[in-house]
Amino acid sequence: MKYRVIIRKYKTEWREPKYVSYEVEADPDTSVLDVVEKISLEKDRTLAFEHACHHGACGACGMIINGVERLACITKIGEVARNGMVVLEPLRGFKVISDLAVDKSRMFKQYALVKPGTHEKVVVTVEVEKLLDCLECGICYSACPIANTFEGYVGPSVIAMAYKSSSNGKVPAIIDSRRGVWACHGSFECSARCPVDFKPGETIMKIRKELLFGKLQVV
Amino acid sequence: MTKHVVVIGGGVTGAAIAYDLAQRGARVTLLERGSIGSGTSGRTHGLLHSGCRYVADVDVARECYLENVTLRKIAPFLFEKNGGLFVAIDESDLKYKDFFLKKCEEAGIPVKELDRNEALRLEPNLNPELKAAVLVPDGTFDPLKVMLSFLASAKLHGADIRPFNEVVGFRIESGAIKAVRVLDKTSEREYELEADYVVNATGAWANKVASLAGLSVPVKPSPGVMVALNARIGHRVFNRLNKPGDGDIVIHQRGTSVIGTTSWIVEDPDKVTIPREHVELMLKRGTELAPIVAKLKVKATFVSSRPLVGAVQASTGREVSRSFAIIDHAREGIENFASIIGGKFTTARLMAEKMADFVAERIGINQPCRTADTPLAPYWSYFT
Repeated sequence: MKYRVIIRKYKTEWREPKYVSYEVEADPDTSVLDVVEKISLEKDRTLAFEHACHHGACGACGMIINGVERLACITKIGEVARNGMVVLEPLRGFKVISDLAVDKSRMFKQYALVKPGTHEKVVVTVEVEKLLDCLECGICYSACPIANTFEGYVGPSVIAMAYKSSSNGKVPAIIDSRRGVWACHGSFECSARCPVDFKPGETIMKIRKELLFGKLQVV
Repeated sequence: MTKHVVVIGGGVTGAAIAYDLAQRGARVTLLERGSIGSGTSGRTHGLLHSGCRYVADVDVARECYLENVTLRKIAPFLFEKNGGLFVAIDESDLKYKDFFLKKCEEAGIPVKELDRNEALRLEPNLNPELKAAVLVPDGTFDPLKVMLSFLASAKLHGADIRPFNEVVGFRIESGAIKAVRVLDKTSEREYELEADYVVNATGAWANKVASLAGLSVPVKPSPGVMVALNARIGHRVFNRLNKPGDGDIVIHQRGTSVIGTTSWIVEDPDKVTIPREHVELMLKRGTELAPIVAKLKVKATFVSSRPLVGAVQASTGREVSRSFAIIDHAREGIENFASIIGGKFTTARLMAEKMADFVAERIGINQPCRTADTPLAPYWSYFT
């Protein structure tokens, strides 16, 4: 199949971004990420985009595909193309480094405030540990109307991580503040767009309820 | 004046080398043509090797196990430390068992044979026909986060990490690299970076990068296909109790399980596609280990090229380990340039230790390696 892939490109000294179109030949089963990588290797050497695991396990390749936040590695081009066209843009709510690559500092710098753990305990037949399902991809920040307008917001994924990795019924005080769960307007865009169904929106509502009923303490 | 080392390659090897050298006091700049981990390292299945897959070579297995222990100690937050199971499905597997147990003992890897019921109690999705099971200290990880932790640690020691900066050439004068020519993809500008020493840690791309300096590196890019399922089917790594082969491992991390892998040799790691029959083979072999695989959907298929070491001649380099090699390009007339190839994601810290020993000696830094005893910085601090 022939596809037209249109990518929003931006380089540091440009006054404004521009949309560049590439014709590519790809099987409809090919991931959008593999198509982007092929473009970077064969047609546009300076195309900047982030990727690592290529199987939905690391969160690097979040981008906006035909208007919707998705992980490019687990999105098949044939399923998202409209009339053979796919428009790719960087995530919203982050500073663009170049092209599709964004600087995720505004999300990761919140970690120092809440110091979330990375594991949760799971009991199958015996207890095992697993990494939290959150891929830290930044898609929930991009989809969230609050994160897009309020720089100080701790953000959906980090709030949910802090809660899920807390063990003693306590969360950091910033969670119970205007920068934490009380900033949320309940649009649930985070949960709607989350590629791994981590449900940050539902977790934020649960934290609010537990705070109000005195079931959750702050430290 | 502090010596400036340029490390080329932002995979796990380059990240660990940048960290080690920066910790010893060198001024380090790391260059990566794409984003961090966008080559082979990011596209691993994420197995923290116990070494048991390599028991045919006891030294390699021991090396792997010791690094596994070190990584768990310096960064427990990065790994799912649930172990793995080697299971025998057929008679040929069963015949391998005694050899396997003997070699694990020789390598000093703590393993434990489980009876069938116990194995199935721990991992209900394993093939109920299994004939034997051995519990081993495997683990799993998110490769990107491991690399970011090494780089966050490197940054704490002043290293300058530059993704989207591709090496396009070298300025060589009187038998030494004076500067590296770099294309910054974020601005589409080229610039020169002066260097006292240059390390080529580009793995499967090592020969392509070395060729920019008119040199060659005996790396054999060896792709392997992996298949990620849209569900997680276990917690301990599933291995086939036999010699390493195609589709004999299922690795679980976060919400997914990955079946790996195949192996062939290519010339150019930038021109690798996934043979459809490899995907079918992974699913068939994965189903033998865990019948539930047949009922699941494929979430993603991916391929990446291991940097296998080809024939290293005594005249072109020195082997520091049977599993990886450092090529000293001084022997070919460029005195301040070395390449490192081979190895495993699990042994990256050790590779970096040997590479940094080698570089430190040449640039006059008299500091021992401390990476095995220093906790790694959390990956999120890379961004702050």
